Amino acid sequence: MARSHKAPFWFLFAAGGTVVAFVLPVMVLVTGIAPTLGLFTEALSYDAMSAFVGNWIVKIILFGILTLALWHAAHRLRVVAHDFGIRADAPVAGTVYGLAALGTVLTAIALLSV
Amino acid sequence: MSRKPYQRELPKTTWFLRHARYKKYMLHEISAIAVAVYLLILIVGLFRLAQGPDAWAGWLAFVTSPLGLVIHLIVFGLSLVHTTAWFKAVPQAMRIQRGEQFVPGPTIVGAHYVVWAAVSVFVLILAGVA
Repeated sequence: MARSHKAPFWFLFAAGGTVVAFVLPVMVLVTGIAPTLGLFTEALSYDAMSAFVGNWIVKIILFGILTLALWHAAHRLRVVAHDFGIRADAPVAGTVYGLAALGTVLTAIALLSV
Repeated sequence: MSRKPYQRELPKTTWFLRHARYKKYMLHEISAIAVAVYLLILIVGLFRLAQGPDAWAGWLAFVTSPLGLVIHLIVFGLSLVHTTAWFKAVPQAMRIQRGEQFVPGPTIVGAHYVVWAAVSVFVLILAGVA
């Protein structure tokens, strides 16, 4: 039987989709909407955020959440491209997975530099 | 292959507007665009945090700007679409057997909603909700 090279990408998609489903809404609420409402100003202050992201366990958890979400979005965008009539799957796959890989590296650099 | 496969004529970019079910499908598929935009904003935020208090304040100023708010409201809405659609599909993707019987779908979905609520409350407490 022919082996599919899609399996690892599908695993990342499924794992990422689960992570996104559980944590993204509340994360968007805290980092994206609460600042405008004037909520969590203390937690979102420079000192508190530096200390929070400076923690190694937080770094590892954030790396896991962000990179799985990246690979989830990348795989789904590949399907979206197909849904909008773009049939050149190989370049599309190369682009979206390439961006996810770049995002993974940038996430690691950002987390390590905080 | 010499055979020419039959391909149904479909409008390439608007086919999903024909049916409510297709529209729902497309809505949760394009949630990936919202996720990607949000991740980009967050990763930039981490870099700004690393650069110091002024850079971080600049990032917060973007988040609280009208454009930042609109982007985050759209992302929030689509993230809820993703979560509900994802949980709805879980029983099809995951069959859990207990003894002779399979755990019924609604039980699995319900458990996901309970965990979702717990995770959300935990993050809110972490952020400082008393």
